[in-house]
Amino acid sequence: MGQLSRAVAIVDDDAAVRHALKFALESEGLNVRVHGRAPALLDDPELYRYGCLVIDYRMPDVDGLELVDALRRRGVSAPIIMITGRANAGMRERAGRAGIDTILEKPLSDSALSTAIHSALAAPPAAP
Amino acid sequence: MSDTLPIEVALQAAEARLRSILQTVPDAMIIIDERGRIESLSTTAERLFGYSMGEVAGKNIKMFMPTPHREQHDGYLKRYLQTGERHIIGIGRIVTGQRKDGTTFPMHLTIGELRSADKHYFTGFIRDLTDQQLTESRLKELQSEVTHMSRFTALGEMASTLAHEINQPLTAINNYLRGCNRLLERIDDPAAPMLRDAIGKAADQALRAGDIIRRLREFVARGDSERRIESLPKLIEDASTLALIGAKENGIAVAFRLDPAVDLVIADRIQIQQVLVNLIRNAVEVMAEVNGVRELDIETRAVSDETVQVSVADTGGGLSPEVARHLFQPFVTTKQKGMGLGLSICRTIVEAHGGKIWVDARPQGGTIFRFTLRAADHHEEETLVG
Repeated sequence: MGQLSRAVAIVDDDAAVRHALKFALESEGLNVRVHGRAPALLDDPELYRYGCLVIDYRMPDVDGLELVDALRRRGVSAPIIMITGRANAGMRERAGRAGIDTILEKPLSDSALSTAIHSALAAPPAAP
Repeated sequence: MSDTLPIEVALQAAEARLRSILQTVPDAMIIIDERGRIESLSTTAERLFGYSMGEVAGKNIKMFMPTPHREQHDGYLKRYLQTGERHIIGIGRIVTGQRKDGTTFPMHLTIGELRSADKHYFTGFIRDLTDQQLTESRLKELQSEVTHMSRFTALGEMASTLAHEINQPLTAINNYLRGCNRLLERIDDPAAPMLRDAIGKAADQALRAGDIIRRLREFVARGDSERRIESLPKLIEDASTLALIGAKENGIAVAFRLDPAVDLVIADRIQIQQVLVNLIRNAVEVMAEVNGVRELDIETRAVSDETVQVSVADTGGGLSPEVARHLFQPFVTTKQKGMGLGLSICRTIVEAHGGKIWVDARPQGGTIFRFTLRAADHHEEETLVG
C-alpha cells in the first residue's frame, strides 16, 4: 500500500505513447500502470491507491476532463496531470475549473512529465 | 342647364371610382399620358416618392427616375409610340426610382397601357424592393463571411490535426529514447557514454520535429477568436437562414424551440454561425436521403445560470454507435464527398469557447447534436462591452 501510493496510472488511447511513457518512467524507478481507455481506469481495482494520474485529454469515448469529473465524483483525490496534443484556451479554462493546473503538451519535451509526476507524488495528499 | 347630363354623372362616378382605387391600392401606381405627363398618383406612390399629387400633376414622369433614364425617358416613350416595340410594357423590370429628396431605391415596375378615344395612357405599378434587397445582400455578406472562415478553419484544422497526429509518435520516440538513456546510465561500458550522447541527440531531433509542427500549426491557426456578447437567437436566425436555403424544397419542416430565458452568450459570431450552419446542413443532407418524416428541430435551453445548450435534431437515418464514437475526429466522414473536417472543426470551435459538443441518438430515430456555450451575465456585459 505504501508502495502503491507512489504508483502512477496513465490513460492514453495511443498504444505507442502509453508504452513509451511507461518505459521512460519505469527507467526512473517509478511504478507505472497504463490504460488505453477511460472505463478501464474507472474499473481498475487499485484506482484509489495511485499517487498520481496522467490523463490524455483527447480520447474517443470521453474527453479527459469528463474522465476527471467522473474520478472526482467517485472520490478519487490523487493529483491529476493532463497531457494533450494541443491545448487551447477553452480547454485550459475547463481544466482550471476542474481543479487541474498541470497541463503538458506533447511531445512532452525533456523531463517535464517526470518533474510534474515527482512533485505530485511529493505533495501532501489532498483532503478527501 | 341645372340638370346634369347622364353622361356627366357616369363620368363623375368613374372618376370617383378611380380616386378610391388610387387611394387604396397597396402598390404604388402612377398614370401618365403619352407625353409622359403625370395624370394621377396613388397615395402609396405619393408616400414612396415623397411628392404630393398637387406638386407633380402635369409634370414629366422623368423626375421620378435618376440619370441616365431621366434624360432618355421622353425618347423611350416616343420610340414606343412610333414602333410599338415593347421593352418594359407588360413585361416588368427591376429599375431604380428617385425620391423627392434625391435618394434612390430599387423597385419593381410593371407598365400597363390604356387607349381611350384618341388618347393614350400608361399605368405604372411599382413595388419597393428596398427591404427585400437588404435582406438578400445581408444574406450574401453573411454567406461569404462564413464560407471564407470555413475555408480558413479547414486549413487550420488540417494543420492542427497533423500536429496532433505527428505529436503522438514523436512523444513515443522521445520517451523511448529517454528511457534508453536512463538505462544506459547503469551500464558500465566504454561505449555507453557515446551511446548516451547519440541517444540524447536523437531525442533532441524528435523534439525539433515537434517544434516545426507547432510552428506550422501556429502559422495557419486563425488569430484569437473575437469573443463578444452576442444574442444567441439572432445567431441562430442568421445561421439557419443561410443553412436552410433549399430546405423547404426538400420537404423539411423546421421547428424552433427557443428558451425565452436564453439570450446573450459569449461567442465569436462567425465561428458559432459556422458551427450552426454545419450542423443544420448536415441535418438537411441526412434527411434528404430518407423517405417519410423530415423534421428539423433547433432548440435552446438554459442548463444553468452559466451554461446554455443548443441542439439540432434531425429525423434522418441515425448513426451507428461505431460511427458516433469517432464522429468528431478529423477525416471521419459518412459522406461520399467531403473530407470529414466539418464536425472536427465544430468541436475545435466549441471547445475553444469552453463548451462541449456531442451527439445523442433521437429516441424516435435520427440524431441530436448538442453543444454548450457560456451564457453572458450582466457583469460581463459591463466589462466586455464597456
